Amino acid sequence: MKAPNKNSGFKIPENYLENFNDALLDKIASEEESKLPNKEGFSVPEDYFNTLYKNITEKLDKTPTKVIALKFYKKYYYSAIAAALLLFIGLNLNKTETYSMDDLVNADIDAYLEYTNLDLSTYEIAEVIPLENLDLNDMLKITINEENILYYLESDIDDFNELNLDSNEY
Amino acid sequence: MIKEQTLIDNLKQTETQAKAFEVLVNTYKERLYWHIRRMVLNHNDADDVLQNTFIKVYRNIGNFKGESKLYSWMYRIATNESLSFLQLKSKKMGIDSVELQETLLNNLESDVYFEGDEIQLKLQKAIATLPKKQKLVFNMRYFDEMKYQKISEILETSVGALKASYHLATKKLEAYLKE
Repeated sequence: MKAPNKNSGFKIPENYLENFNDALLDKIASEEESKLPNKEGFSVPEDYFNTLYKNITEKLDKTPTKVIALKFYKKYYYSAIAAALLLFIGLNLNKTETYSMDDLVNADIDAYLEYTNLDLSTYEIAEVIPLENLDLNDMLKITINEENILYYLESDIDDFNELNLDSNEY
Repeated sequence: MIKEQTLIDNLKQTETQAKAFEVLVNTYKERLYWHIRRMVLNHNDADDVLQNTFIKVYRNIGNFKGESKLYSWMYRIATNESLSFLQLKSKKMGIDSVELQETLLNNLESDVYFEGDEIQLKLQKAIATLPKKQKLVFNMRYFDEMKYQKISEILETSVGALKASYHLATKKLEAYLKE
């Protein structure tokens, strides 16, 4: 192939070719924008923004300071609730049929957790978790090694009391 | 305007926290509100999510390491809060996310805080058909007029990918509006 004529005298601005794609997309986008309505029609109540800070601070005072994510305990919630429901079923309908954990559809337990205000504290959850032979990694989907836990405790926990959590907070 | 680092420092100190929080709310309330409102559509829901966003920011400012800018961190919290809110709402209503969008759009027609005309309503319906990421990029670029660089910091996506997303979104919206 013939080499381009380097002595033609033409020049292009610095970085022109590097920026060409971006410039082209910008141009296409600006042409497209003109075909769309430029207002969206949403409005807000009068004085909404003026009273917002007050409303937030009021809500802040009412809400607890920390919440622990329940994910780790979910599995045990399932077991505890499933056990309670099975016991209930067993007491009320006993002698006719035998029920097992499989009779409880996870979705039903999910729905129960979702719509029922269980309001269990960490201690109450701890009571239903069988601690024998329990390892932290049993509760997590990913495996955390001891080294990482020690690093986290060293770098992120200033006050040991923080570890003694006593309410559902995040 | 107060410097971001000063604001962060003040938010982390008990004596200056309350005043700094007021400054933070007043500085970002409108921007975050509209960002959230475009996702949840309804004013009352947007108000709830916005308040929760600020409460989360207040409670977690101690964990903010300053690796990103404060506004991009707050936008990320607002985005996550909005998406979680929508997810929870659809779960509570026992419907999927597509049905939820349809419900929200139907409610928009009778919403006292929606004053849009037919074409604006149609635009909202068109936006609802976009995938999550394209919807976010379109709203941030088109309505917020946010620079790609800023969107890139918030969504942690390259500018090139954002431009492509925006281009695809506008093409789809245009086609929908022509129908």
